[in-house]
Amino acid sequence: MIGRLLRWLLFVLAVLLLNLPVIVTILTALKSDADINASPPVWLFTPTLLHFRTVLGDPTLHFPRYLANSTALAGGGTLLALLLAVPAAYGMVRSGAGARILLPLMANLRAVPLVVFAIPFYLMYQVLGLLDTRTGLALIACIINLPLSLLIAVNAISDLPLEIEEAARVDGAGTRMILVRIVLPLIRPMLLSAGILGFITAWNEFLFGLILSTRNAVPVTVAVTFFTTSFGVRWGDTAAAMVLSMAPPMVLGLVAARGIGGALTAGAIKG
Amino acid sequence: MISRREGWLLITPLAVFLVLWLGFPFLTDLVYSLSQVGFTTLRQPRLSGFGNYAAVLHDPAFWQAMGFSLRYAVVETVAQVAAGLGLAVGLAPILSRYRSLLALILLPLMIAPALNGLMYRLMLNDFVGIIPIYLGMLDLSPNLLGPGWVFWTVAAIDALQNVPFTLLLALAGLQAIPPELREAARVDGASAWQEFRRVLLPLLVPVLAIAGLVRFIDSFRVFDHIYVLTGGGPGDATTGISLYIYKAFFAQQHLGLAVAASMILLLLSLVLLLALMRRSLHGARA
Repeated sequence: MIGRLLRWLLFVLAVLLLNLPVIVTILTALKSDADINASPPVWLFTPTLLHFRTVLGDPTLHFPRYLANSTALAGGGTLLALLLAVPAAYGMVRSGAGARILLPLMANLRAVPLVVFAIPFYLMYQVLGLLDTRTGLALIACIINLPLSLLIAVNAISDLPLEIEEAARVDGAGTRMILVRIVLPLIRPMLLSAGILGFITAWNEFLFGLILSTRNAVPVTVAVTFFTTSFGVRWGDTAAAMVLSMAPPMVLGLVAARGIGGALTAGAIKG
Repeated sequence: MISRREGWLLITPLAVFLVLWLGFPFLTDLVYSLSQVGFTTLRQPRLSGFGNYAAVLHDPAFWQAMGFSLRYAVVETVAQVAAGLGLAVGLAPILSRYRSLLALILLPLMIAPALNGLMYRLMLNDFVGIIPIYLGMLDLSPNLLGPGWVFWTVAAIDALQNVPFTLLLALAGLQAIPPELREAARVDGASAWQEFRRVLLPLLVPVLAIAGLVRFIDSFRVFDHIYVLTGGGPGDATTGISLYIYKAFFAQQHLGLAVAASMILLLLSLVLLLALMRRSLHGARA
């Protein structure tokens, strides 16, 4: 009995401690400036949406555009990664091609920190005209997401029974038909988890957003850092901007926690 | 089954993308690191030998950054694996029974490390931050971002964000252990500690090793939360190798230095990559 109580106490403390920055930031975003500056800190107060209105409504801040940038680059990069990974995974599993080098390379690509390519990407994007474009950042998101997308697709396809495909082939279905009509529907739940995790990873990326965008394509993670400098001590607005920037991945994460947990575990262990 | 030819055909788009988006940057790193090149001569690198490498290897800041990354990665790995394991063992009965509660523990993993750093900037702010205010009430006023504390501050922030990952893997490992084994140990009169030390821990070693490896790799290249929190300072106190490369290029405009440092880090990581690829190939999976 006491053991159970202690466990629950540990759970509550762990959740509070791990999520403390989020809790404090959300509370700060909802406080009036007077409450923010109160010392000792107040925990009970009348919430206000003023800061959210400022962040979303002030046209000089361009915040909705930053949100749109992140949505576009994370969504585009994730979809492109899946589009490249699924056919490749099917080819690998069903023909054995690439099993010696390509798959192990992708599965362990995490060992190479992408920062080593930061400068080449900068130079390359300058030449290609991809600097400060959503397309350019989406392509980075794609390369970041590719390993996990491929790994999850390979695992999912390996688990499929061959008989259905063979029956379809006897009935005259080609590879494309089999891939689209049979394989894709069967592995959709796994792909969805991979896609959600990929979207979150891409949304949260910071380094390449910082280096490869200046004005038009700036993602929210980078845009929020502008706030702390240009706003000085206006912590309410900054906190509201932070809440808006982390809301999409957090909501996705809460909704799909189980799938993401599985994808994270598989990504680490199957590699 | 499909033919190998058709298999490769399906792989081609992925392979082309990899060649363009990994192969080309690799060549750029290689050529530029061996060239004399500045911002005005960006597109006309002139091969000049190993001068850039010599410059990097003689730069004390490079070694300091490598030292920081190494020390930081070791601390993060040990702290996160130990805390993740402890929490997993302590919380497994709850998390196995009420699976949806796991989401609350995993939440920090969904947040951008850069944003996490910013949130701690709010919490550490001298005027509105709860950490200095509450410490002040206890008559404590350590300068948590000063030279004495800053390493442990950025390390703790990172650990608190990523412990859920090691917890998740340890939990998966725990749940894969057949309950009969634990029951047998208990029947034989093992204490809780003996059961953990002699039964659970040995079986968890493989999964903990993977968790530790992942956290080591990711911690070695740490950038985001340190960039927004300290910018690598005070001085160079929290400048790891990623930040060193970033600063060499974007702040000091020292292209040769930055590219040679990238290349050195790339070569080191390729050694690790090849080792891991061999492990995958030989099927020595945990």
